[in-house]
Amino acid sequence: MTDITSFDAAEDRATTNSIPRNPPQRALHLHRELGRVWANDKGFWGQITAVSHTTLGLRFMATAFVFFAIGGILSMLIRAQLATHQGAFLDTEIYNQIFTMHGSIMMFLFAIPMLEGLAIWLLPKMLGTRDMAFPRLTSLGYWCYLFGGLIMLTALLFGVAPRDGWFMYTPLASAVHSPGINADVWLLGVTFVEISAIAAAVEITVTILRQRAPGMKLTEMPLFAWYMLGTSAMMLVGFPPLIAGSVLLELERAFGWPFFDPTRGGDPLLWQHLFWLFGHPEVYIIFLPAAGVMSMIIPVMCRTKILGYGAIVAAVLGLVFLSFGLWVHHMFTVGIPHMALAFFSAASVLVAVPTAVQVFAWIGTMWKGQPQLHLPMYHILGFFLTFVMGGLTGVMLAIVPFNWQAHDTAFVTAHLHYVLIGGFVFPMMAAVTYWMPLITGRRRIKGLGETAFWVIVVGFHGTFFIMHLTGLMGMPRRIDIYPDNPEWVWLNLTSSIFSFVLTIGFAMFALDLLLQIFLGKRESRDPWEAPTLDWAMPLPSPNYNYASLPTLRDLDKPARDVILPLARGEGALPGAPRGRREFLVTRAINAEPDHVAILPGNTALPLVLSASIGVFVLLMLASLYLLAAFALLPVAALIWVWVRAMAPSGDLRPIEIAPGTSLPVHHHARQSLAQSGLNALLVADGTLFASLIFGLAFLSVVTQGPAAPPAGAHTMASLVALGVIGVVMMIAAWIATGVGRGTAQLGVVLNIVALVVLTWLALTQMDDPTVHARDALRAAVAGYVALHVIVAAGMAAFVADQYRRGEITAQIHGGYPGWRKWQSFTTATTLIAIAILLAQVFA
Amino acid sequence: MRWLFLTLAGPTLWAVMFSIVYALHGVVCAGVAGPEGLGLGARWMLIVVWVLGLAAFVPLYRALPHGGELTHYLPRLGVWIGLAATAFTLFPVVFVTSC
Repeated sequence: MTDITSFDAAEDRATTNSIPRNPPQRALHLHRELGRVWANDKGFWGQITAVSHTTLGLRFMATAFVFFAIGGILSMLIRAQLATHQGAFLDTEIYNQIFTMHGSIMMFLFAIPMLEGLAIWLLPKMLGTRDMAFPRLTSLGYWCYLFGGLIMLTALLFGVAPRDGWFMYTPLASAVHSPGINADVWLLGVTFVEISAIAAAVEITVTILRQRAPGMKLTEMPLFAWYMLGTSAMMLVGFPPLIAGSVLLELERAFGWPFFDPTRGGDPLLWQHLFWLFGHPEVYIIFLPAAGVMSMIIPVMCRTKILGYGAIVAAVLGLVFLSFGLWVHHMFTVGIPHMALAFFSAASVLVAVPTAVQVFAWIGTMWKGQPQLHLPMYHILGFFLTFVMGGLTGVMLAIVPFNWQAHDTAFVTAHLHYVLIGGFVFPMMAAVTYWMPLITGRRRIKGLGETAFWVIVVGFHGTFFIMHLTGLMGMPRRIDIYPDNPEWVWLNLTSSIFSFVLTIGFAMFALDLLLQIFLGKRESRDPWEAPTLDWAMPLPSPNYNYASLPTLRDLDKPARDVILPLARGEGALPGAPRGRREFLVTRAINAEPDHVAILPGNTALPLVLSASIGVFVLLMLASLYLLAAFALLPVAALIWVWVRAMAPSGDLRPIEIAPGTSLPVHHHARQSLAQSGLNALLVADGTLFASLIFGLAFLSVVTQGPAAPPAGAHTMASLVALGVIGVVMMIAAWIATGVGRGTAQLGVVLNIVALVVLTWLALTQMDDPTVHARDALRAAVAGYVALHVIVAAGMAAFVADQYRRGEITAQIHGGYPGWRKWQSFTTATTLIAIAILLAQVFA
Repeated sequence: MRWLFLTLAGPTLWAVMFSIVYALHGVVCAGVAGPEGLGLGARWMLIVVWVLGLAAFVPLYRALPHGGELTHYLPRLGVWIGLAATAFTLFPVVFVTSC
């Protein structure tokens, strides 16, 4: 037996090809054993404490469907109002809230959570593992999403919903022009929901890179995983600018820090840049998972392999990069420089190329295969018809002179609905109908779904194709009444009529799903005869997915050929003989087995933590800022409890995953999942910092507002204080490279010293942040640094506590590597912030 | 992770070229290089920088591993993506933009 107990034995670890088969066992016995360990608790409490990816993925999707229905009802109200030119169905205030909430719900409470839910539910099954990397984080993400969404919906019921459009432009959303809590609901609610998005992005990234079945190389994994890897990378880089912008705007509204106020050196365009730095990648964040679904379903429906795997992967990489070079095309009319117009127009046209590569690959796959017209294929054809039209109008809008004409008209409304419904909703409907047997274990009742598809297609194009015309005739978007212009009136009425047809179509689609769930006959295993691992399991899929985990020899076979061997425990790590939730962790590129991760069981901790964050959000909404600050204390305490629960306990001996092959448990691993997760989180955190620095640079270089007042007391004392902070942080980073209890205790002291000096600097030396945007942004950057120093101190204290308890040994590093990494990151951002501040002072 | 960095090298070079050209354009238009703004000399400077940027893709391409496997093929495709993006998106910037 290969016995591995330390880092130094890494070279002897099991390799992909050396994992022998386990002897077959009774499948029922394994099923019961795994069921006991992986099942949710019983009853309502079981729903509260569930951390299983199967449960939570489905719950994400079900909740997203509910929000989709609510957003759809709001759209019906909009169309009812616009059916006639002087519609009196809604007053202007309510109309503004409804169209804002329609967009916000569809983007933040339907599309993003839907793709998160699909990825959380599907990826472990497709990659050959038993759960996502961080199950409690999955649960936390869900509760944050639910609570954030409920806050926004409750605001709608009480008539205080956001009303400034789903992109919340300033100065309209500023405290002056939008008094009350309406805009705050959006800023705090969306930021609350985005915790869920960042959490999902971290664990999707880690799951794809570290949990693929042994032997499933990065370059051979299912295309859906490639798409989700691109999506999660974009989420890690795309969402932080929105979070930064939302925090800054909330600071402006709550405390008068004038980031976006042009009379005090701010700039509304800074909001637009930060928003669209998120907003345009967001379009691709939504599209890529849908395209991943297409790439999985089309080959199965056409009984062939996907055409151009490498070209599609390259197209995904191209889209990921190019999508960050497009955001300014939403701002062509705001008076940006000629140079930026040229660049972003060209980039916006160029992005059609990788998109077209994928479309042609899918068409080629259908051409070489034998397409079978099952229901998922209907929706795929609906995608082609709709999305390609949306893409073409997108190219039109990328051309600057046309954009100037069509901007903010109904043409843009038509374009974005063609892209989003064509590029996301149709593929999602294909996905749901394709994977429904795996969800329910039941067969659908034919007829209703096909009818629903045609009603949706007719209703959709009847509603939105016409909007191209109303837009080209000059009708602006977001107006609640319009002139009695005969050219507009009949078009709007027609749109409204077809929109109700569209709604009936979606209702029929939902009914079809319900009929399948409650009345469908039992489906046989692998009904589509698919080649991928997601079908190599019983229907409906159990929480643990696989009784034993697939290895290299299972990857090239059709799903139906590996169902039984895996169910009989012939794969790796069969059953749950130690009564723990376990799965294999592999290396990022070649998927060599690395160690065995032990997962936490069911817990209500994520619910309690998200509720605590929710209390903070509600106190902020109520303008009880001091209480809100105190509300962060239980949040910090719960995070401590959360991390404590990961302390090593029980049997930590290596685990035999197959005869003669053992792997260490994650406490002994050099590069654990937590390390990989922290890497991903720091990418997002670094982007957040870069967004603040971008803001500082934008206001310093581009904004033409009133000059900043002369800097206040930039005394020798403040320069010395900056120097002290820099030196102390460098020492902290340096000592964090050592190991020992004393090192961690010294780390706590150094971080506290840096925090005290920073606080003194902020209170006595920095200029009033309410006077000028420059000083407000400096204060925001100082706040960012202070927050990170506090976390670094907390992490050092945690590591010191682990040493005290004897939980860190020569073999087990506990929280030490995480603290070291965080300390280095905090030091780097602190030094950058100091350098920029000094450059501004001396410039 | 090295492989991922290699794959992203091409698009990263595009981002670098964008930053350089944008910065030079800003410097020229701010009058730092002279009062004429984006005159013939400055435009030629932008064009030369752009061409040098395109040329920089050649050594990058040659430095990448060659082979038929996807792990070798994707980094090279990344270079092509970066090259096409640099050529297409910066062409109008260096040839036709004004201050």
